[in-house]
Amino acid sequence: MTADLQATSAPPNGGLGDQEAPAVGRWLSWRLPFSPWHLVLVPLSFLLLVPLLWIVITSLETEGEANHFPPVLVPAHPRFANYADAWAAAPFGQFFLNSALVTLVVLLSNLIVCSLAGYAFARIRFLGRGALFVTLMATLMVPFQVTMIPVFLIVKWIGSNVWDGLGIDHIGALMLPNLATAFGIFFLRQFFLTIPVELEEAARVDGTSRIGVLFKIVLPLSLPALSTLAALTVLTSWNDFLWPLIVITSHDQMTIPLGLSYFQGAHRVRWPILMAANVMSLLPMLLVFVGAQRYFVQSVASTGLKG
Amino acid sequence: MALAQVEFCDVTRRYPGGVVALNGLDLTVADGEFLILVGPSGCGKSTALRLLAGLDKPTSGEIRIGGRTVNQLGPGARDIAMVFQNYALYPHMSVYANLAYGLRQRKTPKREIHARVHDTAKLLEIDELLDRKPGQLSGGQRQRVAMGRALVRKPQAFLLDEPLSNLDAKLRTQVRGDLKRLHREVAVTSIYVTHDQVEAMTLGDRLCVMSKGEVQQLGTTDDIYNRPANTFVAAFMGSPPMNLIPGVIRSGTMHIGDSAAGLIAAPDGPVTVGVRPEHAHLHTSCQPGMVPASIDFCEPLGSHVLVNTLVEAKGPERVRVIVQAPPDTMLDPGTRVGLTMAPEKTYLFDAETGVAQRARERITLP
Amino acid sequence: MSGNDVSARRPRVGGSDNLTGWALVSPAVVLIGVFGLLPVLMSLALSFQKSDLLSPETPWVGVENYRKLADDPVFAEAIKHTIVFTALFVPGTMLVGLLVAAAMNRSLRFISVYRTAAYVTMAVSTISEGIIFLWLTDRDYGLVNAALNAFGMPSQAFLASPSQALFVIVAMTIWGWTGFSVIVYLAALQGVPAELHEAAAIDGASAFTRFRTITVPMLGPANLFLVVWLTINALQLFDEVYVTTRGGPLRATTVIVYYLWDRAFVHFDAGYAAAMAYVLFVVIVVITALQFRLSRRYVHYS
Repeated sequence: MTADLQATSAPPNGGLGDQEAPAVGRWLSWRLPFSPWHLVLVPLSFLLLVPLLWIVITSLETEGEANHFPPVLVPAHPRFANYADAWAAAPFGQFFLNSALVTLVVLLSNLIVCSLAGYAFARIRFLGRGALFVTLMATLMVPFQVTMIPVFLIVKWIGSNVWDGLGIDHIGALMLPNLATAFGIFFLRQFFLTIPVELEEAARVDGTSRIGVLFKIVLPLSLPALSTLAALTVLTSWNDFLWPLIVITSHDQMTIPLGLSYFQGAHRVRWPILMAANVMSLLPMLLVFVGAQRYFVQSVASTGLKG
Repeated sequence: MALAQVEFCDVTRRYPGGVVALNGLDLTVADGEFLILVGPSGCGKSTALRLLAGLDKPTSGEIRIGGRTVNQLGPGARDIAMVFQNYALYPHMSVYANLAYGLRQRKTPKREIHARVHDTAKLLEIDELLDRKPGQLSGGQRQRVAMGRALVRKPQAFLLDEPLSNLDAKLRTQVRGDLKRLHREVAVTSIYVTHDQVEAMTLGDRLCVMSKGEVQQLGTTDDIYNRPANTFVAAFMGSPPMNLIPGVIRSGTMHIGDSAAGLIAAPDGPVTVGVRPEHAHLHTSCQPGMVPASIDFCEPLGSHVLVNTLVEAKGPERVRVIVQAPPDTMLDPGTRVGLTMAPEKTYLFDAETGVAQRARERITLP
Repeated sequence: MSGNDVSARRPRVGGSDNLTGWALVSPAVVLIGVFGLLPVLMSLALSFQKSDLLSPETPWVGVENYRKLADDPVFAEAIKHTIVFTALFVPGTMLVGLLVAAAMNRSLRFISVYRTAAYVTMAVSTISEGIIFLWLTDRDYGLVNAALNAFGMPSQAFLASPSQALFVIVAMTIWGWTGFSVIVYLAALQGVPAELHEAAAIDGASAFTRFRTITVPMLGPANLFLVVWLTINALQLFDEVYVTTRGGPLRATTVIVYYLWDRAFVHFDAGYAAAMAYVLFVVIVVITALQFRLSRRYVHYS
């Protein structure tokens, strides 16, 4: 299904528009050059965004202005130096790199591993397929808190016995448990099933191998689903907090959420630079979200509406 | 009861961006009449219906129902009912609730709702289905529920938007008959939109043939078929459509290509000649006075054969002319034949505008 | 959706499908097996042991961890707080999401801007969210208290108050999840065919009646999804509590997962924490199953 949540789609009320509006709505639409709904939507949007706007304002104030009551709504001279101060007080550059690296590896790994497995579950008949699928899907029901302690122990063991880059207090440990998710397999399998099987059969008749069909036919047709999964994976990986909290203690291995939390602990009441740090932490994901909005929206809508 | 006449007075619907869906429509539907709006996609018929229903607002012009102007009224206040192409039944309500919904909104007393719903259900033979939900019904049953929902309201006007297009061919024929019967029993002013000319010709008291937002012709089936006002109407109605051949009148004689094809009392100049497949005749040898043609292929249909021929009419391009021939006709492709047309069934249209040139007198049978 | 499954027929161009199949799923099987399935079993075993995560000795203690859990007053409090939080968060988020989505379900100029504003809270991390609200609700300098004073009301302690802190966290998390909820409801609202609205309008229903009798009943699947998903997430609340109140003041915001983490990684009582995690697991499964069972009556699929 393709509910268009982005662009202006066909009038959702079937063109009934203002004719069915309550009296005040019709009175207003006579007198205003624009639809009266703007009068509702602008304050509503503003209200939803106020927390974000407020921290940006605070991040540009001096400590004196911030520690003032009633709050100073417009700083006298925007103090961009707060950002420099925050950057100097903690290795945000390193935090950002760590987050980026972890997210990138997790993203690529998920896309590859889940595509392979999802395709196998969708199109290849092999012994034990049914039971295996159910078992893997069962892991979706298990909350992270159940597995986090043993995974901690496993990662600790791997760190000591295989490669310490994957062990406790290294970003490798942040990647390992998330390299493949049952959700990703489920999602891609569902999508692969909707691709007409005749396309694949035609390719097989033309001589393409089983794997070839996956790479040459199925995956190119699956870009929407892959993009959607990518959006979701990036968001969850980037904003993950609990696991990094458990595994990482050294500053140079921290990801952004963890780094921000540490920063907050150290600079609790220095509101302007704390807000500057917060803005810097928020910005990457916000920009990605707004830019690739379509895929994030699609990721939620498609899981939600399949019930 | 007040006259439930429907009037469009110079109604135009223009969209931002310049598209004109409806251009100055002037139309009066008499009380109790069954009027059909027919035409290809984009001709404006659905737009006209939606404007009448109140689902859209005209850019200019007035719409009147039962004598009163309804432009400012919402769809709920116009006392009309509509049958949608996809039925639009409320999926979470039972058939009974679907039928009763409109009456409930108008605060009709429960007893009356019960009576009217059951009467309508019986009329449409869906009284066994009242407890079911739309999802449990077949396409034909859903269509009847949609009709029932409209009928039960006893509106001033009945609007139908391609209600048969989602039914399979056999069911469609059957429902067409049901509709005709229903209209005889419950003579509500009805405006019916379709692109199917067979439906249009069989169902309507009058047809309004539309194209590109304008009325091409308004009249009975007989008028439209036998006295088309222009080439669009001539070609649109009838299956297979009327053959249109470019020709020229010289000194009172009609010429197609290089051959003289008969005497016609008409002024000199280029014309478009129209003749229906059933009014053209094939002759195995081409004599003077006939139009030479060659066979392209034959389509046997059991009761007759449609012979596709190619005629040299104007310049190097050949025009396709379809002739309806007796059932045992068998001709090889490439064979040269001669075509004749009965003069009283030959239509002349202006070569540029397509408007019919000669008024066809009504042929009265003895 | 499953009509296209080629494995329902005999494979046309044959091959050793077993080998290919297993080869393709093996990376996933290894990863999920090691990090998904194995830990489930390990956790169960751990819940019957005493472990401090550091030393290799982990003596078996039978069901003692579970027995302790049943008598633990802090755990009981954590359960209570989690329930209160869930009971407010889930309906709250759904209601806010539905109202915002209903407002945004129309085509206007700039509608995509308004919608982006609604969605964007989804991208905010829980930590950022916590810090934002710590600042907004600061007793001395917060914007919220300034607004309250402007209306003649006294300043509140909010996150510093044992009686108010949990509710502030409810508000904070509703804000954070609004974007998600709006996306789900907007998709569901747009799934209601325009023709149904038109038919109802012709039948004489006002806009509000149409919303009530046509739109809302058709939101069943969306409601079910949100109830299940939001409940599961609510029961696992942690991040926001950590960054704002660390479970306080006076344990007022200690929820199950916070207590769990505290036991496992601050006090190194891993066996006990594993037992707690298993209890949470069972609760989640039971509640989810109940919700699905109840849904069959109320959800209409057209």
